[in-house]
Amino acid sequence: MTEQPSTGTRQATRAVRLSERAWGYLLASPAFLLVGLVAVAPIAAALWLSLHRRLPVFGVEEFVGAWNYLQLWSDDRFWAACRTTLYFTVLSVATELLLGFGLALLLDGLTNGAGKSPRWAQVMIVVPWAIPTVVSAQIWAWLYQPDYGLLNYLLHRVNLITAPIDWLADPDWAIHAAVVMDVWKTAPFAALLLLAGLKTIPRDLYAAARVDGAGAWQQFRHITLPLLMPVVVIVLVFRTMDAVRVFDAVYVLTGGGPGNSTETLSIYAYKTLFQTLQFGYGSALATAMFLIVAALSSLYLLLLRRHLQEAT
Amino acid sequence: MIARVVLIVCAMLGLSCTPAGDRPHSPNTVLVFKHGKLSGNGAVLSDLLREFEKRYPGVVVREELLPSSSDRQHQYYAMNLDGGQAPFDLLGVDTIWAQEFAKAGWIAPLDTLLPPAEREQFFPGPIQAATFEGQLYAVPWYIDAGVLYYRRDLLERYGVAPPKTWPDLVHAAQRILDGERDAGLAGFVWQGRQYEGLICVALEVIRSNGSDLWDGDRDRAEAGLQFLRETVAGHRITPVSVGMADEESTRQVFGAGRALFMRNWPYAWSLLQREGSLVRGKVGMAPLPSFPGFASAPVLGGWLLAMPQGSAHPQEAGELIRFLTSPDAQRLVALEMGYNPTRRALYADETLVGARPLLKELYPIFLGARPRPVTPYYLMLSQAVQPEVSAVVVGRKTPHEALEAARRQVRRIIGNRELSIVTEGL
Repeated sequence: MTEQPSTGTRQATRAVRLSERAWGYLLASPAFLLVGLVAVAPIAAALWLSLHRRLPVFGVEEFVGAWNYLQLWSDDRFWAACRTTLYFTVLSVATELLLGFGLALLLDGLTNGAGKSPRWAQVMIVVPWAIPTVVSAQIWAWLYQPDYGLLNYLLHRVNLITAPIDWLADPDWAIHAAVVMDVWKTAPFAALLLLAGLKTIPRDLYAAARVDGAGAWQQFRHITLPLLMPVVVIVLVFRTMDAVRVFDAVYVLTGGGPGNSTETLSIYAYKTLFQTLQFGYGSALATAMFLIVAALSSLYLLLLRRHLQEAT
Repeated sequence: MIARVVLIVCAMLGLSCTPAGDRPHSPNTVLVFKHGKLSGNGAVLSDLLREFEKRYPGVVVREELLPSSSDRQHQYYAMNLDGGQAPFDLLGVDTIWAQEFAKAGWIAPLDTLLPPAEREQFFPGPIQAATFEGQLYAVPWYIDAGVLYYRRDLLERYGVAPPKTWPDLVHAAQRILDGERDAGLAGFVWQGRQYEGLICVALEVIRSNGSDLWDGDRDRAEAGLQFLRETVAGHRITPVSVGMADEESTRQVFGAGRALFMRNWPYAWSLLQREGSLVRGKVGMAPLPSFPGFASAPVLGGWLLAMPQGSAHPQEAGELIRFLTSPDAQRLVALEMGYNPTRRALYADETLVGARPLLKELYPIFLGARPRPVTPYYLMLSQAVQPEVSAVVVGRKTPHEALEAARRQVRRIIGNRELSIVTEGL
């Protein structure tokens, strides 16, 4: 105000800039609103609920602060579910990534060799991904069936086993049976993403490497892998988030049993929320799961950023 | 704009509901009857409802079916009953929910609908399950209880009588299995999957050893659970697959002629005896065995009819409940659909018993059937106990460890102060 004459033009530009920014906000506001309504508000509501003891059946509704979280801390079943979920996640995501990578390289190789894209291979690979999880879980439950299931029949035919194994009733096998089903279903997803990534790598890089005398392994190690890293991280983020939240596949196969050996966090949260109607405690469980997923995702993104920084 | 649309919709909803208010059977009274899908010929129930409409002109009954899965029905009711103004006037209630729904104030007391004197005409188990703090909240619709199925032909071939005690059952099974030398034949199948059915089986063995899950003699409760494990691991009369078995999978094993004994509900009988069944005419049914010195302890199952709190048509809904639980309606449903009546007198009804002689054998079983713990906490209790008993079945925990862990869980859920409420009904 005191320097009115000299700042006149600057003020004018600031006004324009401000209005530009305001315009930006205005144009983005529907998106903000949508995200707020469908994502932020429910999360906030769940968080708020998790600070209450709410049992509608007993007319209990009281603010208890962190009580639910303290209970979680001393709840053996919660920690067991954490361990089960972690085990399931690490095993299934690692296998999916490796298998998906193999499939992607295979498909990429087919494409290059034949000169055109082999549709049949792509379609075949997408089929498991396209079947609804509940349906494929039911199919796998039949495959695993000890008496007339296909899996035992095949293993018996090739003399790998003498007596049928009850994959789902055995607490040591059950979680692995669920992992196998999950890998079967989602490795194609990983393969598709990785294949798309492979397509973006300029072919002349490989040509140049060959001129320099690099072998297949060196090409893979120094060209394919580093350039594919961002896609790998995306696959890891998506698959890890899904695996940590796994519900339908395991619920249909085992219902969490036997002896809770396959009870994941989602299943425990579902039972707490919807079967025994402990809304406060169930929300605390759901919030804990949200935090785990958020932490894992941030970790991946951090790793990706560091990787990109190193690359440049 | 939006407010106006809402107003119009409200007005439309209001219009369709208001005329019922003062006159008892005014035209346009629509009763919505929500219940799980029943097995058997569904037209029988529809015909009954049309008959009701004929007797009460102006009342229209609309059936709305829920999936037959008990868990999913419970979830639906919990969502729709909480907060009042349920979109239905009549509902089917699993015996294990009545206390919870009554405690929550979700269903209305029906004390005047079924006076105490008339309650005597029903089996005591379901009435106990439906009575909360001295008031009746639901009327028993049909009844179930755990029973033992056996292969009559094989038992006769080996001169073995249907077992009265669990040790007898083990001996009988071992003897016949030794004689048959058939790797595909199991001795005793039951429901061992981690789900509600497992709790029924566990209660039956524990109670038939003179104990109970919570307040009974702990050693005898553990011995009961140990017996379940022993059928798989020690006596080897039960296949490992029992750890994933539910009612239907055990029925299929038994129905394929691949088991000597089976614990199941009475519904399996007609399926095992129907034309084309591999075991048709070779099956017998008996009360569940017990441990020596104690009585057989079948667990009660079945469904009740109730009315949501604040129903718009309590009088008509009450009449429909009375109609559906009347002797005539129960006789028809028992004859045509195979659901077992809750009124005791029907078990002496000549037409009915003539057509279904089995009812005579079921009568004493239903009379002695005891409900699962009668408490509003039942579902929490069951959820806490299911994984523990399942861990015993697959050999992951000893019965002692499992019951201790279950007690810890329940204590955590409801807090020590309230544990007495839980133990009250056990």
